[in-house]
Amino acid sequence: MKDTKSLLLLLVSLLLVLVSFVLIWTWGYSYYSKNGNEKTNTAPPQAQSAAMANTLRDSLQKVYDATLQDLDVQLNTTLTHTDSLQNELDAKLAEFYRLRTEITAILKNRTVNNNFTVAKQKISELQTKVEGLKEKNQVVDSENRKLNAVLNEMSKAEKTGDKQVNMTSSVKNGNTYDANPVLSAFIASDLRLAAVTNTDESENTVVDKADKINGAFTVMNFNSQLTSAEMMVVVIKPDGKVLKGSGWDSGTFNTPDGKKIYSYKFSFSYSRGEAKRLAFSLKGGNFTKGNYTMEVYHNGLMIGKVVQTLS
Amino acid sequence: MFTTYTKRFLPVAAFFLLIGLATRAQNNVVQKFETGQVYAGIEVGSKGVKMSLLELDKSAGDEGEFKILKDTSINTDFISFTQSTYQATLSALDKLYQTAVSRNNIPPAHVFTAISSGVYIQANKEDKKIWIDQLINAFKLLINEPQRKVAIIRVEDEARLSHLGIVPESRRYNTFLIDIGSGNTKGGYFPYGNTKDFRLFQLTWGTKSTFNATEKMLGEDKGMENFNSQLNRVLAGAENNEIIYAVNASGAFPKSDNIAFSGGIAWAVATLVAPELNDNAVIGVTYDEVLEFTEKLVKNPSLYSDYYIVKTLPENTADAEKLGKDVKQVNKVFDQRALLAGTGLLLKIMRQFDGVVERKKFYLVKNGSVGWISAYVKMNSENKK
Repeated sequence: MKDTKSLLLLLVSLLLVLVSFVLIWTWGYSYYSKNGNEKTNTAPPQAQSAAMANTLRDSLQKVYDATLQDLDVQLNTTLTHTDSLQNELDAKLAEFYRLRTEITAILKNRTVNNNFTVAKQKISELQTKVEGLKEKNQVVDSENRKLNAVLNEMSKAEKTGDKQVNMTSSVKNGNTYDANPVLSAFIASDLRLAAVTNTDESENTVVDKADKINGAFTVMNFNSQLTSAEMMVVVIKPDGKVLKGSGWDSGTFNTPDGKKIYSYKFSFSYSRGEAKRLAFSLKGGNFTKGNYTMEVYHNGLMIGKVVQTLS
Repeated sequence: MFTTYTKRFLPVAAFFLLIGLATRAQNNVVQKFETGQVYAGIEVGSKGVKMSLLELDKSAGDEGEFKILKDTSINTDFISFTQSTYQATLSALDKLYQTAVSRNNIPPAHVFTAISSGVYIQANKEDKKIWIDQLINAFKLLINEPQRKVAIIRVEDEARLSHLGIVPESRRYNTFLIDIGSGNTKGGYFPYGNTKDFRLFQLTWGTKSTFNATEKMLGEDKGMENFNSQLNRVLAGAENNEIIYAVNASGAFPKSDNIAFSGGIAWAVATLVAPELNDNAVIGVTYDEVLEFTEKLVKNPSLYSDYYIVKTLPENTADAEKLGKDVKQVNKVFDQRALLAGTGLLLKIMRQFDGVVERKKFYLVKNGSVGWISAYVKMNSENKK
């Protein structure tokens, strides 16, 4: 009984092995015949020799290398200067890297029958892309140059302003200059800072006679939306500390450079185009000799400055 | 080792050195008081006895005509009305009087003594006014001045004198002064352009009472988050039941451009919020600044440690050493929760004056504690002339 069963199992196994062989052979045959057809279709002309292929590959390699080198230089400059064109550049670079990988793959293939026509096409495409990048880079470069020129002009103007202030403070006190006039809605003008005696309220520049410091300035803006405004006045003493007349008048405010102490604060109603004259008085005890600087701030931005020397 | 001459010379040199030092120390005190007339105000308060040495300085201008030279206090807890606290108060009163007269050479006529309204209110409530009378009589006997006047100040007088002592003349008639104390809040303003008519403002909430009410509501959860939410609950109740009504009833809004706060919490917040202005007796603040302070205080109280504040102090603004001491003192008096309770109450009152259309200017007064006594001294010194 047992022998019959074993024989049956052996026969089934043999049958399965046979069927497997048949199936493998059929699949192998169809694969071989397909590859054979493809080879026939893509076969190069018999006249193309291995030497010619090598020469062609070498020359293509040179062109490719030169293009890459050229692009590297351009890329460095482009990456340095590009800002707004960053996204466009990223897309172009992705395209460039894709082409480079494809070309490298083709050139690495050392088989005699390698398809160099495709490589040629891709290299010329790469060269076109590089030219495009060059042009874009030139645009960015020229824009950067223009911007640098504007910035230089602005910094020169600022330096001239500083020099003017230094000169006026040493030669003639009371001259003013505007700082950041573009950034505030208000413009401060006619800034005056003077030492005053209590007895006759007369202005002078002699420290021994000074009982208080009076300051005044005119503000103006053309923003119709503003109905009220706040101006902070910072009076800096020769020792660099802020002059504070009274705790009721002084306080702190925020500027882009951090918290600052103000000597006096004005809160006033305002109508468009009005030239508002603001005046204050600071009693500071004993005044020392030296330069007193008055700075006027609106919304944390300095809109005017004047230097007065007390001798 | 020492020769005979050296042995003789050393005690002589030491004697002269001591004499020199003593003379120098005395001169320092005299120099301070040279510029004007010096007065002393001694006040018996709820917590203890306080002495302020004031210098009359007419040229001081907007900061007030008095310059505070010294501010000392001795804790005695007189309002407990026990024999020991009574003795401690009498002893402190005598000690401070002797300091003013003997050590600082202030003539007795320039020393003014008074009992604060808080003591009188508490004594009246507990029917213990006799303790005040006994204290006054014992003090007169002790210093051997039977004619000495020891005035009992009423709450209205105290608020009025505080206004006169703290707010400069230029802002007298447009400033509402609110003193946030530990157990209550009082203040007021002059509504009719004279110093006779004074409109009193009172709240039953103070820094400590707000803190205590919050603590009572904490239950099992003593965490910061729960404290904060219970504090908000307490403050909301105080605002709805009392603050809104009291501010409206005072009629201060249309008549006041400036709202000034004094009291311990005003001093603490002013010191921590504006360290750059540490030498200012008064600082201007906005509602948003105080709100930002409380928010930061909840999240990170170490931002207000003396170490951090001194470290982040901008250059050339304030004396770092003095600031460090002041901040340390604030943190000693108020811990994080007490600060939050006091600032919460402060914000609730500020909010009544922070309108959308019209916003008032807010000020925090640091030396408010000597406000009424300085005005009392001034008033009495003028009467004596």
